[in-house]
Amino acid sequence: MKRRTLTAIALALSAGFGLSACAGAAGPADNAGAQDGKTTLSVSVWNYEGTPEFKALFDAYEAANPGINIEPVDILADDYPQKVTTMLAGGDTTDVLTMKNVIDYSRYANNGQLQEINDVVDTVGKDKLAGIDAFDLDGKYFAAPYRQDFWLLYYNKDMFKAAGIADPTDLTWDQYADIAKKLSTTKDGKKVYGTYQHTWRSVVQAISAAQNDADQNSGEYGFMKDQYNTALDLQTSGATLPYGTAKSQKTSYRTMFETGQAAMMPMGTWYIAGILEAKKAGKTDVNWGLAPMPQKTADGEITTFGSPTAFAVNKNAKHSDEAKKFIQWAAGAEGAKAISAIGVVPALQDASVTEAYFTLDGMATDELSKKAFSPDKTALEMPVSDKSAATDTILNQEHDLIMVGEKSVDDAITEMDKRVKKEVLNQ
Amino acid sequence: MTTETTTQATAPLLGRGNRKQARRNALIGWSFILPNFLGFLAFTLIPVLAAFALSFMEWDSFSAPKWVGLENFQRMLGSDSFWIALRNTLLYALGHVPLTMGLALVLAMLLNRKLKGIGFFRVAIFFPYITSLVAVAVVWNMLFSPETGPINQFLQTVGVANPPGWTSSSDWALPAVIITSVWRDMGYYMILYLAGLQAVPAELYEAAEVDGANAWQRFWNVTIPSLRPTTFFVLVMLTVSSFKVFDLIVVMTDGGPGRSTTVLSQLIYQEGIGEGKFGYSSAISLVLFLIVLTVTVLQFKIQQRRER
Repeated sequence: MKRRTLTAIALALSAGFGLSACAGAAGPADNAGAQDGKTTLSVSVWNYEGTPEFKALFDAYEAANPGINIEPVDILADDYPQKVTTMLAGGDTTDVLTMKNVIDYSRYANNGQLQEINDVVDTVGKDKLAGIDAFDLDGKYFAAPYRQDFWLLYYNKDMFKAAGIADPTDLTWDQYADIAKKLSTTKDGKKVYGTYQHTWRSVVQAISAAQNDADQNSGEYGFMKDQYNTALDLQTSGATLPYGTAKSQKTSYRTMFETGQAAMMPMGTWYIAGILEAKKAGKTDVNWGLAPMPQKTADGEITTFGSPTAFAVNKNAKHSDEAKKFIQWAAGAEGAKAISAIGVVPALQDASVTEAYFTLDGMATDELSKKAFSPDKTALEMPVSDKSAATDTILNQEHDLIMVGEKSVDDAITEMDKRVKKEVLNQ
Repeated sequence: MTTETTTQATAPLLGRGNRKQARRNALIGWSFILPNFLGFLAFTLIPVLAAFALSFMEWDSFSAPKWVGLENFQRMLGSDSFWIALRNTLLYALGHVPLTMGLALVLAMLLNRKLKGIGFFRVAIFFPYITSLVAVAVVWNMLFSPETGPINQFLQTVGVANPPGWTSSSDWALPAVIITSVWRDMGYYMILYLAGLQAVPAELYEAAEVDGANAWQRFWNVTIPSLRPTTFFVLVMLTVSSFKVFDLIVVMTDGGPGRSTTVLSQLIYQEGIGEGKFGYSSAISLVLFLIVLTVTVLQFKIQQRRER
């Protein structure tokens, strides 16, 4: 009897706690040090194969600095923040940490895991770096952005021309919805959608927060109502792939646009590099262009949202000085040149870099595309706050319920208000 | 264990030298289990005890943990997300355990005969278990797709006007996950049942047949009782695995739509690793541990009573 109970306890122990036990995993293999007289600088990256900017940066830096050998610490993109958190908690010594978003940045910086690099930021020039404000923690900077993505509208020029619709200059959301409905047809037994709104909550929530100048951590979400009505209207009228289908099929937004199944698509600038690559490899012949994001009102002012990506120096870095040098280079003109050569938008605001960007092979070079490239205001996708991670979970869940049609917009917004106030803001 | 019992029983009769010998034997015995026990200590026992302690603290994995007493538990009891996750976990177990057990037994009965090519069918049924879970989830998500999926197209052709939305509906997402997990797991438990069935002595069936028992009576009075040890093992393993289900749900629905398929282990991951509230998530894992412990001890007790 006793032994049985013991066995039962042992079984249950391994079951219940197996999960929490694996949180203490160790960091990556540590083989930094001198290799044939070179200094090895380790940099944490995600999805190294599929994110060509890293290789572009590292190759260019190694070529310019023969004494440095950069070793990427590759991490699965989806698990990146969790993995880095675990690494830092375990005293990992990776030199440079890539900040995938500003929420994680503030967490690491506020917990003293990063080194202050004000001198680096000052040398590159604060006013030249887009998105730098997000990294300002009481006048201290613990990371320097090297790329700045923001959202714009991709459109298929051929489909617009075939339907006799003018290029989407200065659209309002209503005009955008009208065009999307007009462009939706059935071609060779296959449905062609006027637009594709991806399943991420930012497609609805972040853009309405940016254009209403609202705070996504406020616990008041009434401002999202119009944007949700537009999104649902597109869906019920068949102008976009239904959310439920997109989610269960894990639809790739790239496929939707590159195979001509959608004529428009609001998406981030990171996709430019993706299209250029696909065109180069002959995977698509889509005749694409860029337009500004649709707006609430057509007053000529373009407001969108985006988020910067930055490099930071680990508190426990083995080669702090080399790490700072690398960051200064990456955030500066040389780094900007290296990544813009493959279609990635650098954080550095520099006329010559932008000009070079539009001469890339396969790039859309018309005036509208260039205009789309310089929005008047770029709000942060999600504010920098220790509440953001918890709010994000709730807003995601309610977004899901609205988009699959389980909850009315009003009910879900009431629920968001209630839950964020109670579970996150403790009001 | 055995050595010690012998020692105690015989010690009074024997001299000092033998006691020394016995201690040596015990030490040798301990040294055999030491390597395994060290691993268990470092990777299971200590983390588990640490998690116990953490559930009474607040810890973000960077700064020093802070003692907060029962605050985490109070927060948990007042949180909708916890109750929803608990309900979903129990519903999942209630669907997953009996369905998997029943189907595994039926399949084992069907495949426990000498037929040409039976090996092929056994392998085919076992196959899902060794298939990558991500592949399984992607394929089933496509099958369940509300508009274009084959399952709903089939349902429509047989006259169901409004087929369920499956993974895009709060009411049907959990059944969809249960169906997928039953399909995936039944092959493994079928193998266990097959092994059990082959250990049933043929004489029992012959005797029952001589006594005039029909097929159903033979199944009920010979097969089922003979399989009791197997059934018990399957029940315990299935229950434990149901309570800690995580991977399938993460790749299939990620807890959605809304919170309709969020389970406890996912909540633990989300609160701890996702949001950095390791104390709170340890508190939830303590509750999950206590639930699994209670259920398992209960199962052992019931089994024991039956054996008497």
